[in-house]
Amino acid sequence: MSSHAATLDAHWGGGVSPFGATWQKTMMWIFIVTDALLFGGLLSGYAYLRMAGTVPWPRQSEVFSIPFIALMTFILITSSMSMGTAVTAARLGDRKKALRNLLFTIVGGAAFLGCQAYEWTHVIHQGARLTGALPGSELGALGVPVHFPASFFVLTGFHGSHVLSGLIILIITAIRSSMGKTPAQGVEMAGLYWHFVDLVWVFIFTLFYLL
Amino acid sequence: MSSSAENPYRVYFVTWIALLVITVLMLGAEALHLPRWFLVLFLVAFMFVKAAMITGNFMHLKHEHPHLMLIVVVGILLTSAILLAYITPESASVLQKTVR
Repeated sequence: MSSHAATLDAHWGGGVSPFGATWQKTMMWIFIVTDALLFGGLLSGYAYLRMAGTVPWPRQSEVFSIPFIALMTFILITSSMSMGTAVTAARLGDRKKALRNLLFTIVGGAAFLGCQAYEWTHVIHQGARLTGALPGSELGALGVPVHFPASFFVLTGFHGSHVLSGLIILIITAIRSSMGKTPAQGVEMAGLYWHFVDLVWVFIFTLFYLL
Repeated sequence: MSSSAENPYRVYFVTWIALLVITVLMLGAEALHLPRWFLVLFLVAFMFVKAAMITGNFMHLKHEHPHLMLIVVVGILLTSAILLAYITPESASVLQKTVR
């Protein structure tokens, strides 16, 4: 067997992990890639609706409170930092620190969801519906295109549902960690998912709220 | 000994600060009423910088095996590029037909 074939066999023949990671981590990354493609599709759909529409998109600051969205971003980025700290603490065997940071992340996630619920309520009161803006409402008076509220609800709704499921995963991880039942890798898997939620928000924040 | 070996948590704090600074810069750019093309370029560039920092430092992708990095980065970027390549001309054509 040539050295090239031997290398290929060593990496792809099934004998050695081709990704240099445990199967749990590899599967988690593959899941993240597929979930990223879901958001890629949603953001592309949003781009299509916006580019092909004849009614101009409203200036976001006329509809949303940008400082409030910035606060949500701050909360999510901060929770990502504490999650990273929790992962490293778990790896180093510092269970107390890991648990403390997990709890901080949970508080951050809950705060983000609370902010999102507030924002949805506000936008609904402005007249936004999944099928467009209500005639005679504040948003209707702005003349927003039909797809504007739909894009908002779908993009932030899908993201919010990911935050909610991430929060549930974190709560389970924290409870099991406190009982010493979750290994460091379990915290790392939860962390990967949480960072992914943060990553998606970076794209939504820029492409939907700022551009 | 490197500083990350002395304090393994430092990277998260530094990344957090950098992400906050970039976010403030992006918000500032949006508020300044800059030329549209420049704003788009500026925001999209910084969006990718933030994404790279999150995946690299928070998700530790930069420490993973190159095969894993490849599958993640190429998988996401290539599919997104294909999607955009299809929808951009299509949406332009729909817009033209609607206006006409």
